[in-house]
Amino acid sequence: MKTGFNFAYLDEATKRMIRRKILKAICIPGYQCPFGGREMPLAYGWGTGGIQVTASIIGKQDILKVIDQGADDTTNAVSIKNFFKRVCNIMITDRTAEASLIQTRHRIPETTLNKDQIIVYQVPQPEPLRKLEPKEKETRKLHAYKEYALMHVKLYEEISQFGSVIKTWAYPVETNNRYITDPTPIPKFDNPKMNNMEALQLFGAGREKRIYAIPPYTKVKSLDFDDHPFEIQTWDECCSICGSTKSYLDEIIINNEGKKNFICSDTDFCKSNLEKNK
Amino acid sequence: MNIKKIMHVENLTHFYGNQIGCKGINFDLYKGEILGIVGESGSGKSTLLKCLSGEISPSAGKINISLDQGGVKDFLSLPEQEKRQLMRSMWGIVHQNPRDGLNLRISAGGNIAERLLNVSEKNYSHLRNTGKYWMEKTEMDSDRIDEFPIGFSGGMQQRLQISKILSSNPQIVFMDEPTGGLDVSVQAKILDTIKSIVRDINVTMIIVTHDLAVVRFLTDKLLVMKDGIVVETGLTDRVLDDPQHSYTQLLTSSILQV
Ligand SMILES: Nc1ncnc2c1ncn2[C@@H]1O[C@H](COP(=O)(O)OP(=O)(O)OP(=O)(O)O)[C@@H](O)[C@H]1O
Ligand SMILES: [Mg+2]
Ligand SMILES: [Zn+2]
Repeated sequence: MKTGFNFAYLDEATKRMIRRKILKAICIPGYQCPFGGREMPLAYGWGTGGIQVTASIIGKQDILKVIDQGADDTTNAVSIKNFFKRVCNIMITDRTAEASLIQTRHRIPETTLNKDQIIVYQVPQPEPLRKLEPKEKETRKLHAYKEYALMHVKLYEEISQFGSVIKTWAYPVETNNRYITDPTPIPKFDNPKMNNMEALQLFGAGREKRIYAIPPYTKVKSLDFDDHPFEIQTWDECCSICGSTKSYLDEIIINNEGKKNFICSDTDFCKSNLEKNK
Repeated sequence: MNIKKIMHVENLTHFYGNQIGCKGINFDLYKGEILGIVGESGSGKSTLLKCLSGEISPSAGKINISLDQGGVKDFLSLPEQEKRQLMRSMWGIVHQNPRDGLNLRISAGGNIAERLLNVSEKNYSHLRNTGKYWMEKTEMDSDRIDEFPIGFSGGMQQRLQISKILSSNPQIVFMDEPTGGLDVSVQAKILDTIKSIVRDINVTMIIVTHDLAVVRFLTDKLLVMKDGIVVETGLTDRVLDDPQHSYTQLLTSSILQV
């Protein structure tokens, strides 16, 4: 194969540098490690952080799955898959169970991940405290000293104003009883999957040049109050394609009268579930 | 009766470059005591208070503190993390400008909750009840718990700041001219509130003011400062009724004329 690129686009020195940061991130679960992010042939906001992490750890025998909001066939997912096809010439799959490496934006697959898999999240904003404390120097101290009161104040405010916590995505978690971590804009429905996950979870933020990680079998707790425990989304409906009542459902408007339908956001899960039920 | 000494200050000195901030300050603070610091503008009151509360690191001197748990400690050599933790729960500063002590983007209740959350209180109803309790204690309308302090009057903001600080049941409270920025009529009411609360909860406090009426009304002990040094110290009544230093005599005679 002659592409004009090194395998997986990044040169080997850059990959080694990023791998070292990944190892550091794994050693300090939930801690945001700065790294010397490279320019990628994609704009920020298109998963450049996730791509750099994936490119640093991908091998010739890997089978890659890329999802965007749960779907394998959206523009973002397709262009990332094409990129890796071109620079690695590796196998690509839509099946969660077949993949050894999964890069994702905004979802965790419904199929339980196993110890032989790695999931790489694209991270738009790695700092969960950013909206509460704009100064980087101060947020670093807040993490270092574990001063996380502000985070709970945010939840307090939502309960006071709306009767419950209204945050439904990017719902903050505490990793390994230590660092407050942004789970990326996944629905809070997916938060429990992060807890004690068998697979290694890696997070890459391109613009902010940060990598963080949650090692396998790590405690991940969604923030809450004793008397207002964390809860995930539920639906009265089931998936109108496969009939699932256990998956995260997207609401779609199907006619001009505004009639709504609900379908699985995880397209691979939906397909497999349909086949299984046939 | 053996009253516990909670702060011992020795030769505390701070220079801003060549400019004296405060110099050679010595005193002891006992549990439940209210210490006043008076003096004219520029005499070093705020500098001293900032050194005591960890806001600035003094050029020289010693501060030993005795915490409810943990025994006697050398305050100035505590790591930053411990100092911050102290200020966030066991000690508290009431700033002259309430905006320095409040987060205006957070509701009144949220401001109080933040302080309680620093001591890892994770029960919503309890946060709320404590918030309401302290608002009422500082004579605020607890129905306004979900309003944002940006819409409060200066006096109300100051009451909220005091509620917030006292809600964590602090061992020492520092106040720098807590009513300085307010209308005279409001000042008197807030001082009344402060007085009734401090007597009630037996808090230990260091309060800076240049108002001798406040001093008389509130404090047990007094430091009189001039040009960065303490010119006279003693029990408040003794200092005010029988001032020894010529500057204190001047100070007390000027209040009598009012
Ligand atoms: N940040 C600073 N840099 C340089 N000099 C300062 C600084 N802050 C205070 N000073 C000087 O230190 C001296 C003591 O000031 P300080 O603010 O402690 O007085 P104060 O008694 O609190 O006065 P006031 O009643 O006006 O608040 C003054 O001469 C002042 O000009
Ligand atoms: Mg001052
Ligand atoms: Zn489905």
